[in-house]
Amino acid sequence: MSQTAAAHPQLDPTLALPFPQAALPVLRNPQLRRNVAHAIDVIQAKRSLLVAEKTDWQQLRQAASAIRAHALDNLAYYLEQFETRCTAAGGTVHWAADAAEARQIILDLLRQESATEVIKIKTMTSAEIQLNPSLEAAGIRVFETDLAELILQLGNDEPSHIVVPALHVNRSQVREIFARRMGLENLSDDPQALTAAARTYLRRKFLTVPAAIGGANFLIAETGSVAVIESEGNGRMCLTLPRTLITLAGIEKVLPRFQDLAVMLQVLARSATGERMNPYTSLWTGITPGDGPQRFHVVLLDNQRSSILSRPIERQTLKCIRCAACMNACPVYRQTGGHAYGSVYPGPIGAILTPQLMRMQHAKSLPYASSLCGACYEVCPVKINIPEVLIDLRAKVTDQERGRFNRFLDPMYLGMKIANFLFAKAWRFRAAQRLARIGLRLFTAGDGWIHSLPGLGAKWTQTRDLRGLPSETFRNWWAARTPVSVESNKEAK
Amino acid sequence: MRASLFITCYNDTLFPETGRAVVRLLERLGVDIEFRPQQTCCGQMHANTGFRGEAYSQAKRFVRLYHDTEAVVIPSSSCVAMIRDQYPGLFEELGNEALRKELAALLPRVFELSEFLIDRLGVEDVGASFPHRVVYHASCHGLRALNLGDRPYRLLAKVRGLSQAPLANTDRCCGFGGTFSIKNAEVSSAMLAVKLQDIVQTGAEYCTALDNSCLMHLGGAMHRQYAGMKTIHLAEILASTEAPIAEALA
Amino acid sequence: MSAPPTSRQRILDRVRQSTHSSADPDYNPETAYAALPRTFILRGQLTAEVRIQLMIERLREYGAEVVECLPEVLPASIAAQLAASAKQTFAAPLGLAAEWLAGGFNWKVDDGLRIEEIEAVEGVVTAAFCGVANSGTIALHHSVTEGRRVLTLLPDWHLCILRASQVVETLPEYFDRCHVPPNLVTWISGPSATADIEMTRIQGVHGPRFLHVILVRDVV
Repeated sequence: MSQTAAAHPQLDPTLALPFPQAALPVLRNPQLRRNVAHAIDVIQAKRSLLVAEKTDWQQLRQAASAIRAHALDNLAYYLEQFETRCTAAGGTVHWAADAAEARQIILDLLRQESATEVIKIKTMTSAEIQLNPSLEAAGIRVFETDLAELILQLGNDEPSHIVVPALHVNRSQVREIFARRMGLENLSDDPQALTAAARTYLRRKFLTVPAAIGGANFLIAETGSVAVIESEGNGRMCLTLPRTLITLAGIEKVLPRFQDLAVMLQVLARSATGERMNPYTSLWTGITPGDGPQRFHVVLLDNQRSSILSRPIERQTLKCIRCAACMNACPVYRQTGGHAYGSVYPGPIGAILTPQLMRMQHAKSLPYASSLCGACYEVCPVKINIPEVLIDLRAKVTDQERGRFNRFLDPMYLGMKIANFLFAKAWRFRAAQRLARIGLRLFTAGDGWIHSLPGLGAKWTQTRDLRGLPSETFRNWWAARTPVSVESNKEAK
Repeated sequence: MRASLFITCYNDTLFPETGRAVVRLLERLGVDIEFRPQQTCCGQMHANTGFRGEAYSQAKRFVRLYHDTEAVVIPSSSCVAMIRDQYPGLFEELGNEALRKELAALLPRVFELSEFLIDRLGVEDVGASFPHRVVYHASCHGLRALNLGDRPYRLLAKVRGLSQAPLANTDRCCGFGGTFSIKNAEVSSAMLAVKLQDIVQTGAEYCTALDNSCLMHLGGAMHRQYAGMKTIHLAEILASTEAPIAEALA
Repeated sequence: MSAPPTSRQRILDRVRQSTHSSADPDYNPETAYAALPRTFILRGQLTAEVRIQLMIERLREYGAEVVECLPEVLPASIAAQLAASAKQTFAAPLGLAAEWLAGGFNWKVDDGLRIEEIEAVEGVVTAAFCGVANSGTIALHHSVTEGRRVLTLLPDWHLCILRASQVVETLPEYFDRCHVPPNLVTWISGPSATADIEMTRIQGVHGPRFLHVILVRDVV
């Protein structure tokens, strides 16, 4: 059951294809597109009903956004408070500057336990640091216990959504995977039967594996507590049965007070799964004698978060509570699904988070994987202005391009520089309009439409016609109809 | 009242009939229209593609050009969104105090066309006649950035002979997204295909919107597919009277 | 020669550099926290009766079985629920009232039960801390009458005794009741579920598949 080199090679931003290319095979896969659309529609419909019913929804969003922004503004204060209180309650807090350090800390902790197996609650942070392959390489078997993660692990596949990671897999595919990997030839493809098979398969693991790794939805500074939000109960199993629990959490997960959960729980379940409340939420503080793991470790992960924090516009990225409402609302994601983003964080949040986690060295096509429609911002429970961050990241990518000696070989870059030159003076713009009209006449058919263009234009005409340029621009028409002496001729710089 | 028309770079070049319609419409409503020929572009294309400095230089030109107008009317909601939402940040980062003041003073006087008609002129019935079945496409910038709400629908409701076809999934993006339509042409086309299904299904004769950018994208596909529907900017519908209309896209 | 800075130090330094709000010596995060907007609904508007009905309705929406009873007949009501379950062996938290341990059943009181023993019981009976009507949520604080966490996790059948006086309408009201934040909480809003396979909601993945609630009418 061990993975290949990276946990999710397809979702490794250092290896992934640029978004436009990565999206192509998905666009050509009607089954996959239907699965994605169906999953999204189900959640969206439920969400809409519940948001309409929640008359204080906008006030909740405002509060949630303010709490998260405040926590980030005072992150050092709250992190230290969390550390102090968690430690006082019997937990041990570790700090990992980057992914490699986090992996090493966790590996060392498991070695101290002489652990050869570990059960896991789904945590995207562990996928972000590519934890599983490093554990497997060290001879520690990892058992994913979320149903979707189990499906993906047994099927050697990769997650395509934050909340419903296996939404691209249908029931007969799950049946095939379970039948093969669990040795259940007569298994039906009824979701009830499949779920029962998973329940039985995992039960033994819950009861016998002494070490568990999980994540945190929230860290509570006031009390040093951790909150985990789930639906299936595998979280509760992993959080209470083993002897040792390791919680891996990004430093941005901290909330100031226990009571802040009153806001966050109300917005999270509605946004993530379209429910008023998810089935199980667990909160624990350090160690409780006689109840649950007696060894508890929190690994706080930086991995570029402190860097994101330092940038005024990008900082809001860290407000994210991983609800996935943005990708459910995204018309781009609807067509491409998650894998096209080449990251464990897909969709709109992935488009802004991933390149930043990669220090703007990789995933540079992601900020452009958006039509800037704003649907994500509209649904984000913590009001992350994703379009604003996308545009700012595009500026950062472009600024990198400015430094390259061969930048003018990029037709898009060249085109933008020329356009800016032309827009700077009205007479240049008029001249360009005239030239364009003459030049495009070559491509204009008898019906007055352009059906095929070369170069970048071909990207337009591969699916769309373009009406030929009219013989008279608006400004020429205006100039012809109004005497020049009456016109105000303001010379703008 | 006097209003200055900012036609937008792409309307000027590709859809002059929309500009002509705005002039015809507003003059009919008693507005004294002027057109400042120094105008070129608002800078949206550059800002949204990452060319911030270049966008700023265009933004500066715009603000300087219109600083003394009574009102600026723009038949393009995405351009208005650029000016309203992005100019302040650009000027904050790259401009000086004087320019920021100029911008702040100008912003309340910049109107998208439907905003100008309903909010500034206080009219919904513009005396138009357009006896056809029409479906309205709510461009994302108009919908979310400008919060136009039901303004376009109210204007259409007063057009004689016009029947509006309801559109499913009104808030779903058509996939144009500016340079997105080129840089992610295939995804853009997939989104277009999905949107077109909803639009064509209405059985309307015309698809209208407040942005020729979306209409260029939708209409371009309709034309390629012999879809039996045409696109037309809302301004041209509102400018139409009983006299024969000149310019719908052929 | 001083030791190189630890990761902890480096991270905190970077975080502090990025959030320079401590320029003002009088700045206090707690003051800033107190000023955060809280204009959402804090308190419910429903009457007590409607609130109880809502709690019951939401519980039933999740597939929980709910019966009501007056306090004086609670033990009998418990006995009836246990009998109807067709189960024999039940676990109970150490602090559960003795009269709740109905006769004729095999009781495993949790005075340090081994996991295998808990795994072998068929059901568990507990009290609760609070119910939130809005979402049909039951909050367990794992006190001596609620039991340690594994007790309400491994058995397949859970009977929860919830008093009407413990039911609030909104989630913020529940937090108001927590004068001191609890160390351990499990919020339960229906049996476990997954929609991972084709978005088909399946109940009962891990954790009790059957939740029964007795709503005790302890207030008028």
